[in-house]
Amino acid sequence: MDVLSNLALGFSVALEPINLVYAFLGVLLGTAIGVLPGLGPVATISILLPVTFTLQPQSAIIMLAGIYYGAAYGGSTTAILVNLPGESSSVVTTLDGYQMARKGKAGLALATAALSSFMAGTIATFIIAFAAPALAEFALDFGPADYFSLMVFGLVAAVILAHGSVIKAIGMILVGILLGTMGIDVNSSLPRYTFGVPQFGDGIDFAVIAMGIFGIGETITNLGRGAEAREYVKDYKGLWPKPHDLKEIVRPALRGTFLGAALGILPGGGPVLASFSAYALEKRISDEPEKFGKGAIEGVAAPEAANNSASQTAFIPLLTLGLPASPVMALMVGALMMHGLYAGPQLIAEKPELFWGLVASMWIGNLLLVVLNLPLVGFWAKLLTVPYRLLYPSILLICCIGVYSIRNDALDVIVASVFGLVGYVLTRLQCEPAPLLLGFILGPLIEENLRRALLISHGSPAVFVERPISLVFLILTAIVVLILLLPAIRAGREKVFAEDAG
Amino acid sequence: MNRRHVLGTLLATTCVIAFGSVGGALAAEDPSKYPSQPIRVIVPFAPGGASDFAMRLLQAPMSQALGQQIVIENRAGAAGNVGMDVAARGAPDGYTLFFGNVGTVSINPTLFPDMTVKPDKAFIPVSVASETPSVFIANPKFPPNTIKEFVDYVKARPGKVNFASPGSGSVDRLEMEQFRKAAGLDMNHVPYKGGAGPAVADILGGHVEVMSVTLPSAMPHIKSGRVKVLAITDSKRSPALPDVPTVVELGYPDIVTTSWQGFLVPTGTPKPIVDKLFQAIVKATADPTVKQRMLEGGVSAVASQSPEAFKTFIGKETARWAKVIQESGAKPD
Repeated sequence: MDVLSNLALGFSVALEPINLVYAFLGVLLGTAIGVLPGLGPVATISILLPVTFTLQPQSAIIMLAGIYYGAAYGGSTTAILVNLPGESSSVVTTLDGYQMARKGKAGLALATAALSSFMAGTIATFIIAFAAPALAEFALDFGPADYFSLMVFGLVAAVILAHGSVIKAIGMILVGILLGTMGIDVNSSLPRYTFGVPQFGDGIDFAVIAMGIFGIGETITNLGRGAEAREYVKDYKGLWPKPHDLKEIVRPALRGTFLGAALGILPGGGPVLASFSAYALEKRISDEPEKFGKGAIEGVAAPEAANNSASQTAFIPLLTLGLPASPVMALMVGALMMHGLYAGPQLIAEKPELFWGLVASMWIGNLLLVVLNLPLVGFWAKLLTVPYRLLYPSILLICCIGVYSIRNDALDVIVASVFGLVGYVLTRLQCEPAPLLLGFILGPLIEENLRRALLISHGSPAVFVERPISLVFLILTAIVVLILLLPAIRAGREKVFAEDAG
Repeated sequence: MNRRHVLGTLLATTCVIAFGSVGGALAAEDPSKYPSQPIRVIVPFAPGGASDFAMRLLQAPMSQALGQQIVIENRAGAAGNVGMDVAARGAPDGYTLFFGNVGTVSINPTLFPDMTVKPDKAFIPVSVASETPSVFIANPKFPPNTIKEFVDYVKARPGKVNFASPGSGSVDRLEMEQFRKAAGLDMNHVPYKGGAGPAVADILGGHVEVMSVTLPSAMPHIKSGRVKVLAITDSKRSPALPDVPTVVELGYPDIVTTSWQGFLVPTGTPKPIVDKLFQAIVKATADPTVKQRMLEGGVSAVASQSPEAFKTFIGKETARWAKVIQESGAKPD
């Protein structure tokens, strides 16, 4: 009852014309930057931060939040159309979304992404409204040892991401971990693999690697194909999901939503990890795992739902405890500070209209996003009929602008080009880049939390099995390893027999 | 003959144009006309952080005092060294300002001896702009309630009590190291990254016992009672926390420290321009709105007595932290 009256207050704030306008502006901008690769929510919000000082605090935060989840929403468009992840959280969407587009089902893929995101957004709004304080307490229980075990679990599960050779997937993960160790070490302040270049002090930006490998790499691969194979399918079909498509979307989207909501609350996880995990989960439980990577609709629905719900639940630690779980949330803290407000439990008590207004505006924003995006589906799908000789220079140009805009540094463009070449070579060697990217994200987190957990326990590794949360994830990891090993052992034996027969 | 004449004329014309433009440039730098174009301030940290917060509050009153737009450029990376490098390479004409802080200007030179920019050589200090004290916070379940109890507790458990910090070379870590040394304690350091947030989260969750952290980062959690405060590193009690004793009252007068931010300009900037900027900073830090907003977060807006005073202050700070870094082993060998 209490929550309902609070929600009513929230909607009365969010539905004020001025706040509706800012919510719309926010999601519009968010969609735009989502479509533009490279320029992410962090950059956009920091550019617009000064503009919001003159607004009412709730209008400011509603607009900034709209940019944030709007970007998670719009990032899938280029991922599906041209294999270019608009946001880091849409990298996984390229795997099956782009394959769907190549089969002429771009419209269906885009509509799937939009509908799954909307579903996730709606559910996540209710999770925040009803369970935010309890979930925040749960997030605080996660200590460094628990993070370590969770990340190890995620990394092992990453092997599932690959649909080819397991050995190659493990190799890619290891390369990713190595790339992730670049930068100044947290514990010793020593630079690692920086080659004396100060810009490498914080390592390489995820978007630079992702755009190089996926966007530029795929372009080179396409140009290497014959002129015929390179052109996209001219007659696109199935713009709108049919009833049986909808049935296929609902369950994966629901699973993705809840997985994403859980990971979004944890600092360091967020939308990227959520989308990877949701994809891995779908592939694991699917009856036909072989269709993943070849245009499976579940492979679009689940990660898109996951990244959207994660980007919303990431607000929970910020709003209930005043703890920013990601760089975007740190920006939100800054935005509130400028209005003389400090995020945290007192904020909900002192300014309920701000907290509940934001929660309500999230749902309204999600609705606006669907209204905004669905009519565009036909337009985007038609874009693919543009001849490739005109399309690819535009893709490369957008890539370069996007990479440069991350921190206005030409070095990033060079690094992205190098990774474009790497991406091409990997494709030729049939090594999949997705596990590399997950290793790149998780490797440094694993190292950091491992060292931190051992520092806190004064060197005793027992901490990983003594803490219940950590123990659960380690057991899950062991189960996944077993599942992975069993078919490999079996297949190995079959191969031996096959050779004997030959 | 004719050709030579043409060449000569061309050469002469080029010279005139070249010198003319140099003359023009010099005229533009005439300090009495400064500032005639927008001024950019390099903030070496991401938006939303402490430096960015202070600079954005100062932006409007400073630009009013100077009669010119002020453009904030966030160039984060490598503990602020990327932004400091960018600022040092700016022209010394008063149109590039560096918004440095205790970390970039006074800690990094000792922490990263190989870094290309030497702040004492590359910049002329103009004025400090804000000062923030730190507080020693602990999880409410941590037994000691006062600094005295804390000292006894740690002495009974040498090397067993953990303290968190937002990074190996962060001022927060060094403050605790300084206290550790002054009180003769043996404690275990646990560094975090990504600002104060993750470290404070683990204090709230009870994973680490205690830390020193700047007041604004701790304020919401002090108010909500999720952390307790043992001491404040200031010489005076904070109006926001009147019950919290200062380190001076507790008998550690040598560890009074603040995280500060301040303006520097590239070496070679003319003295009249430095003075003009100094006046604008004095005005901006005295602005009632700025003072009030900063105070709400536990930050004081202050200006130095003079640019020379700021230079002396930086020299003292650099020497102090160099000593702490060497003694604590925070520096990579």
